[in-house]
Amino acid sequence: MFNIESWDWESKEKMLADTAKWKDKFEDVWEPYISQDGEKIASIVKIGEGEHNIAVNEGTWEEPFEKIWYSRFSPDGRLTALITKDMEWTMAVDGKTWEQMYEYIWDTKFSADGKIIAATTKVDSVYGITINEKTLECPVQLESIASHVISPDGKISAAIAQTVPLGQADLDGFLKGSWSVVVNGKPWKNNFVDVYGLTMSNDGKNIAVEYRDSICEYGILVNEKPWNEKFACTWEPVFHPKNSDEITAPVRQWGQWFLATNGRIVWDNGFYSLLYPTYSPDGNNIAAAVAPQFAKWTIAVNGQPWSVTFGECIQKPCFSPDGRKVAAIAKDKGNWLLVVDGAVLGEAFDNIWEPVFSPNDDKVICKVEKNGKYAIAVNGKIRRNDYEALWNPVVSPDGTKVMICGVEDGKYYRKVVPLSDI
Amino acid sequence: MKPTIVKREPVVDEAMDQCEARLTEEEIEKVINEVIDKETGGRLWTYINTCIHCGLCAEACHWYLSNDRDVSFAPVTKIKDTLWVMLEKKGKVDAAFIKRCSQISHTECNACRRCGMYCPFGIDIAYMILVVRRICAKLGMVPLYLQDTVHSHAATMNQMWVKPDEWIDTLQWQEEEAQGYVPSARLPLEKEGAEIMYSVIGPEPKFLAQLLGNITVIMKVAGLDWTMPATAGWDNSNMAMYSGDFEIMARVERLHHETAQRLKVKKIVMGECGHAFRGAEYDGPTWMGWMKPPIPIVHAIAFYYDLIKSGRIKIAKKIEGPITSQYPCNVIRNAGLGSKLRYIMSAVCEDFVDLIPNDRHAFCCNAGGGTINCGPPWKKIRVQSAKLQSENFKRTGAHTIVTPCHNCHSGVEDIVDGYKLGMHVKFFSELLIEAMEIPEHLKPKEE
Ligand code: SF4
Ligand code: SF4
Repeated sequence: MFNIESWDWESKEKMLADTAKWKDKFEDVWEPYISQDGEKIASIVKIGEGEHNIAVNEGTWEEPFEKIWYSRFSPDGRLTALITKDMEWTMAVDGKTWEQMYEYIWDTKFSADGKIIAATTKVDSVYGITINEKTLECPVQLESIASHVISPDGKISAAIAQTVPLGQADLDGFLKGSWSVVVNGKPWKNNFVDVYGLTMSNDGKNIAVEYRDSICEYGILVNEKPWNEKFACTWEPVFHPKNSDEITAPVRQWGQWFLATNGRIVWDNGFYSLLYPTYSPDGNNIAAAVAPQFAKWTIAVNGQPWSVTFGECIQKPCFSPDGRKVAAIAKDKGNWLLVVDGAVLGEAFDNIWEPVFSPNDDKVICKVEKNGKYAIAVNGKIRRNDYEALWNPVVSPDGTKVMICGVEDGKYYRKVVPLSDI
Repeated sequence: MKPTIVKREPVVDEAMDQCEARLTEEEIEKVINEVIDKETGGRLWTYINTCIHCGLCAEACHWYLSNDRDVSFAPVTKIKDTLWVMLEKKGKVDAAFIKRCSQISHTECNACRRCGMYCPFGIDIAYMILVVRRICAKLGMVPLYLQDTVHSHAATMNQMWVKPDEWIDTLQWQEEEAQGYVPSARLPLEKEGAEIMYSVIGPEPKFLAQLLGNITVIMKVAGLDWTMPATAGWDNSNMAMYSGDFEIMARVERLHHETAQRLKVKKIVMGECGHAFRGAEYDGPTWMGWMKPPIPIVHAIAFYYDLIKSGRIKIAKKIEGPITSQYPCNVIRNAGLGSKLRYIMSAVCEDFVDLIPNDRHAFCCNAGGGTINCGPPWKKIRVQSAKLQSENFKRTGAHTIVTPCHNCHSGVEDIVDGYKLGMHVKFFSELLIEAMEIPEHLKPKEE
């Protein structure tokens, strides 16, 4: 969270917008988004046939546009959206458009401080990554871009791109490799059959992906260099948070899934399924969603699965800030449950969002949904009122307060509540 | 074992011919034994050891029945000529044999599972056919156009090489089209927390974009809270399941189901496609280790049934004249939606003429199971082997055949064309759009 220390942690409650009025004022009001610091709420609104604007708190952008979509706040609080003017697309930031227009623009990404805004763009059927209005030059024509990431400091951009054109049903061309990774506009030397799971280390130094070498042969590439080992299948790699030379990924061997670090299998047990390996913040522990047997899902920490299992699925594990506890959201018999260190906490819900730990680990706070209303739940028990819309709670940097942003009776409130009160 | 007498016109499939020239016997032996030993188990051996070679399954198969009861098309022959030989010879077979295995398993069987209903032991021939396809796929012996479709899945996570921007652009264009009928209609992209994620198969944005406009109107009239993803994961189809490339199948299914989880929806509603339902409901989740999809998936037939039955969609004027419907194997025989299909057909058609045989016993359109994706080289024999179903259609006297499945749609169009039936082929949603009531307050205002 950018500049979280300077957010307003003192005002107990601010009513920042009466979104119910938007419904009277505009033909249609789309789902709202809020800024990271909770100070702004915005919705795309329809003001007439082929005419849209964005309502932000009590105002709107000056100029309406034909189409607007993908409104997202950058971490520094500026509101971005993708808009059309005379049938061409571009980025608008706080209502002001980039000069360059594009055949298409999508997938907005931000640096951690929000100063850098990147997106995938297409001009004359050529694809590129555009960063703060400047499209990165690339020595080869990119035929498509599947996904892109930027480093937290915004200095490194990487994309999975099709670097070789393919004719219709060109099986040979495909198997020779037509996909690669483009880093700051420069493609890696080699092309691959397929490239998936693009990941960048926190320091932006290293880039890892999965690649497919032939029909049933997969591996991991780190800065173009493949691991020596190949596997029957892989899932997306993750970087150690402190040591960007350590990369871990689920790999499939002998009909089972294992966890491998830098090519070497590191957990003794194989699993029916293994997904979402996640390092603790200090990097000393790894947790992952695993199914030791078919349809029995749980979390394994450092290779040891919890004894409790869930019939439907389990999502990405989440470590407490000190790395001692692990929480995950699981689904069993149609209900979503919060699980912490192998024990279900509280009630079942219709939906649970990503858990947030209190600094001393004793509380796990989540946005939950029950009977069409949203609420804040602490350790799986509903603590705050029902909201029509609600965002994930944010704990203050000193760990004493929680910011809760939500819409009640059409009004958007930003509240700061002492952690001890919830 | 007596060899089967096989009479076929030669077919040139470049990919298979090149693969035949490339494959070594060592490679073949290794892959066959690997798949048999490591990827199959009790199910395969129970089927192999239980079959008494009685041939009763033959009478179930439209390939056999449409080709003058040529025994080389009988279900049990398809296993006799592939797996039995592989097992007997412990994988010591040559490339020409593997090519014939691909021809049988990919191009002459729809994995429709009708034969399993007629076998006294319920032996699932289609499962064994998929084992054969798996061996072929690992060896790279897959018909050209089917393999190309699988490459599209692998590279783009959709069936039709649709690029990410083309997908979003098409949805935005279809939203505008829908607003021509219902000005307040919206196709909400990436709406986290919506009730429904609607997913479709690749050909919709590529060739049949109006179906996306239709659903936008239907959702608005029904007053539903829905969304579509603006990322990969929107395509619910899966030809990798049918080529035998299960790793790509799983990757596609994982993304589809994780997209629904990311969007925090309560259910996925999918468009009219049968094999896509099978992949998303059963094969994909099973490979991933999920008992069922983490977010439940509802096929279009069940979805429209609920809308009509609950009165959320009212029928203003039924479509006139005799209309029949194909029963897509993967959602009727294999998922039991037959009575719901008849209900919705009767609700929108003045004169719904049922097929005989119908429901679970209905015959495959002969496009399913990936056979139509094998492409032009294999079209002639496919259409020729749909003769029986062409006669069933003709007997209904219908002016239109409804196909609540994309593969059926293309396959039935080929049948109508090949046998000069002079019938229209439509998706159910196309009928519904014509027949449904658009409430006054949603209609465009008169200028
Ligand atoms: S699964 Fe269908 S197409 Fe295949 S052999 Fe059986 S009846 Fe024939
Ligand atoms: S009907 Fe069953 S037992 Fe008889 S040949 Fe066919 S698969 Fe074998």
